[in-house]
Amino acid sequence: MAKGRELRGRIKSVENTKKITKTMEMVATSKMKRAQDRVAAARPFANALSEVIADLYTAELAEQYPLLRQPAAPKKVAVLLLTTNRGLCGAFNANILKETRALLKRLEGQGLEVEMHVAGRKGIGYFKYLGRPLATQRTDLGDKPTAADAASLVDDLMARFISGQLDGVYVVYAKFNSVLSTPPTTERVLPVTPPARKGPARDYLLSPGPEAILGELLPLAVRNAVYRQLVETVAGEQGARRTAMKAATDNATDLLGNLRRTYNRARQAQITQEIAEIVGGASALAG
Amino acid sequence: MAMLRLAVVSPEKTLYEGEASQVVVPAFDGEVGILPGHAPLMTLLGKGTLRIGGATAPAITVDGGFLQVVDNVVRVVTERATIG
Repeated sequence: MAKGRELRGRIKSVENTKKITKTMEMVATSKMKRAQDRVAAARPFANALSEVIADLYTAELAEQYPLLRQPAAPKKVAVLLLTTNRGLCGAFNANILKETRALLKRLEGQGLEVEMHVAGRKGIGYFKYLGRPLATQRTDLGDKPTAADAASLVDDLMARFISGQLDGVYVVYAKFNSVLSTPPTTERVLPVTPPARKGPARDYLLSPGPEAILGELLPLAVRNAVYRQLVETVAGEQGARRTAMKAATDNATDLLGNLRRTYNRARQAQITQEIAEIVGGASALAG
Repeated sequence: MAMLRLAVVSPEKTLYEGEASQVVVPAFDGEVGILPGHAPLMTLLGKGTLRIGGATAPAITVDGGFLQVVDNVVRVVTERATIG
C-alpha cells in the first residue's frame, strides 16, 4: 500500500496548512475589526478640521501660507508609499505598487525629479529589486499606527516643502471603502487642497486672527491626512489578508475532500483484492 | 436652560462627548469660559486643564489645538490631550 501511505502524508500536510490559514483568517478578522474602528474613530477629528479650515479659507489668505503654495514650475516632488511589512495578503501590495509605478511614470513624464519614501517591507523590497534608490525607508509601523507615526513620516517632508526644496508630496496608499473595496489610491497632500465650504460662511469671533489660526491648523490637517491614510492601509491589509486566507482555507477543504476520496478508494480496492485472493486460495484448496 | 454639547477629539479617537452647562478652556492667551448661547467662536488653545461644568466629567489636559463654538456645540480639537 505504498500509494496509501503517500496519500496519508499529503492529507496530513494539507490539514496542517489548513489549520494555519484558518487561524490567520481569524486573526486578520479581529485585527481588521479593530483597524476599522480606528478608521471610524479618526473621522470626527478630520471632519472638524476640514470644516474649520473650509470656514476660514479665503483665496486672499492662500498667498500667505507656504503649505498652500502652488509652485509655478515644480521641479522636485516626493512620493510617500505605504505598504505592509508582511505578505500573505493576496494582491494587496501588488496593486499598490502598480499604482505607484503608474504615478512615477506620470510624474517623471512631466520632467519632475521624484524622490521615494517607502514604509513597509514589501514596498522596500520591490524598489530594491528595481534598483531604485529610496530617500527613506521605514519598517517600524505596525498594526496600530499612531498620530505620532504619521507625524514622523510627514513632518520632514512638510519642512522641506515649506523651505522650497520640494514642490509637492504625493501619498500612495490603500483607500478603505469597505472590506471588499480597498483600491490603491494616490492623494496629493502637499500643497494642501483646501476643503470646499459646506453651507454659508459663519461669522466667527476669531482669536487670534484667521491667519494665525489657519497657520496652526494646516500642519494639523496634513498630519491628519497621513494618519488617516495609515489606518486605512492597515485596515485594508487585514481585510485583504482575511480574504486571501479564507480562499486558501476553502481550497484546502476542497483538496482534502479529493485526497480523502482517493485514499479511501485505494484502501477499499486493496481490501477487495485481498478478499478475492483469500477466496481464490480457499477454493483452490477445497477443490 | 440650554446646555452645551461638548466633544473633545484627538486624531485617534473622541476622548469625551457629553453635555455641559459651562466649559472653561485654556486658550493660547488665557482661559476662556463658554456658556450656552455663546456667539460662534474659534480660538487656538494653549496648555492647561479643561473644566467642564454641570457634569461629572474627568479632568482633561490639552496642549495646543483649537476650539470651535457653533450653535451650542463646543468642539475641542487637539493632537495632544490626556484624560484622567
